[in-house]
Amino acid sequence: MLRFLVAKLTRAFLAILFVVTFAFVVLRLSGDPALMILGPETTPEALAAFRKSWGLDAPVWQQFLGYLGNLTEGRFGQSMRDARPAIDVVMERVPITLWLMLPALALKILLGVPAGVLAALKRNSTLDRAIMTFSVMGYAVPNFVLGIFLILIFAVQLGWLPSSGSATWAHLILPVIVLGTAGAGILARFTRSAMLEVLGQPYVRTAVAKGVPWWRVVNWHALPNAAIPTVTVIGFMMGSLIAGAVVTESVFAWPGLGRALVVAVSNRDLAVVQVILLLVAACMVTSNLIVDMLYGWLDPRTRIPKAGVGGG
Amino acid sequence: MVDLAQPGVVSPPRWMERLGRIGRNYPPLVLFGMVWLAAMLFIAITCDWISPYAYAQIDLRARLAPPVFLGGSERHLLGTDELGRDVLARLFHSIRMSLMVALIGTAIGATLGTLIGFLAAHFRGLVDDLVMTLIDFQASMPFMIIALAVLAFFGNDLVLFICLMGIFGWERYARIVRGMTLSASQHGYAVAVRQLGAGPFTIYGRHILPNIASTLIVNLTLNFPEHILLETGLSFLGLGVQPPLTSLGNMVGYGRDYLQSAWWIAVFPGLAIVLTTLSMSLVGDWLRDRLDPTLR
Repeated sequence: MLRFLVAKLTRAFLAILFVVTFAFVVLRLSGDPALMILGPETTPEALAAFRKSWGLDAPVWQQFLGYLGNLTEGRFGQSMRDARPAIDVVMERVPITLWLMLPALALKILLGVPAGVLAALKRNSTLDRAIMTFSVMGYAVPNFVLGIFLILIFAVQLGWLPSSGSATWAHLILPVIVLGTAGAGILARFTRSAMLEVLGQPYVRTAVAKGVPWWRVVNWHALPNAAIPTVTVIGFMMGSLIAGAVVTESVFAWPGLGRALVVAVSNRDLAVVQVILLLVAACMVTSNLIVDMLYGWLDPRTRIPKAGVGGG
Repeated sequence: MVDLAQPGVVSPPRWMERLGRIGRNYPPLVLFGMVWLAAMLFIAITCDWISPYAYAQIDLRARLAPPVFLGGSERHLLGTDELGRDVLARLFHSIRMSLMVALIGTAIGATLGTLIGFLAAHFRGLVDDLVMTLIDFQASMPFMIIALAVLAFFGNDLVLFICLMGIFGWERYARIVRGMTLSASQHGYAVAVRQLGAGPFTIYGRHILPNIASTLIVNLTLNFPEHILLETGLSFLGLGVQPPLTSLGNMVGYGRDYLQSAWWIAVFPGLAIVLTTLSMSLVGDWLRDRLDPTLR
């Protein structure tokens, strides 16, 4: 188990390092920072002084080490637009995005998993086809189009719900529906195929044959075994909680991280973009790690060989 | 009995029989998808000739005119936008732009991924490890974020944007090609060709590629709608195709500001996106079931 953990942690660390390097290389490739900040009409002496004061005249590997050092100490640079530390600009948006994404995640799971189970149990029925059609729509209809259509119907035509902003509960409804239904479709599809695989297994047939009620077969015998692919997808959704709302937040003018990222990209506010990039990478890596840990818990078979090799 | 054997007397006419066979082989939804995609392709190719106006032509006296079925004039069938530009003409040109970007992006991604997959399978060892790490990285990061970061760092122009679209999705081709090449290399035919002294280009290009092509084509059809979604999504955010050029996402993006007064600006391109990605998914799923019986 320890060796398993160490291997996973090493990979997680490497992935983060890779993103950091990517950000560093791209930042350096995108142009001479001295020229970008001081403008093209600056004298060579001023440019040289600027480079010296920011350490830009040092060899690239020294710059890279210095950059890494800054990151570990939590110095991510200044936002060019707000003249505040970029990390502050980003962090104050995180709760606003989670406020939107956590209900959406709940909706995805509460809608998607039961729908997938139901579709698998009633395979090839009208209900199954209806759920799968809905699922394909979840793939094919982009969030912004669904959002626009919902705004048109519920905000413009009927006038029931507000179309943009984040002031009240009512503002939450449309974006959560957009995010939740799309994810639920994807989740339903994965759950269905996982359940179908499990339902064909001998132990399920045995359970049915010995007269176990169907809800017990589903909850005790089938679902735990079908959980692995489903948990993988949910884990991926957790990891992309922060990143997943970029488009939807823009549609509904929700002032969260996604909106901040789009604004930062349009303004080329590199420090803010870089912080968000690292934050998203950290989320993805952490959720992948959690999913890997969950595998061992959900499926003891994945533990046994590791325990044998690692001696514990 | 003799009559029965005579053609055209009792048995239905040839064309009806053929139509019935098409109906059995092609489910109606798949057929619809194919027809829709063909129509989109036709519009994309011929839009310079069939488009009623130039897509940037401004008619300030007919601003925000409604479509013809809502009492608008016949001069602008789908109405006009806030500058009096014809929505139908812009729709045609947007379809061309979105299809072009998605097609080129898919093609670059497929070529790149296939090459990298072959490289990993050929050299193994360190190259393979490196490629696998890259694949894991790309698969775990939401591509939208990578794309936004690159656009922020480098600014935006059409060539860079298309190249960026080409990077999207390569990892799946690379993974498929690597895995299938590794297993194909053990097969008799690959070993035999190698024994005969064929070089790697001959082995991979002439012998292994044709054998794994059907899986790649299926992946291509499933990848293509994702390209359309990515392009339209980025353009919707105002970070993809830049004005004065137009794309479907672009139109929905600025149409959002006119939902109150002129919903047609956003709704028609939105419908075009949905129907195109839906058609492609339907056709792709159907193709997968036909070409790849192992996935059934």
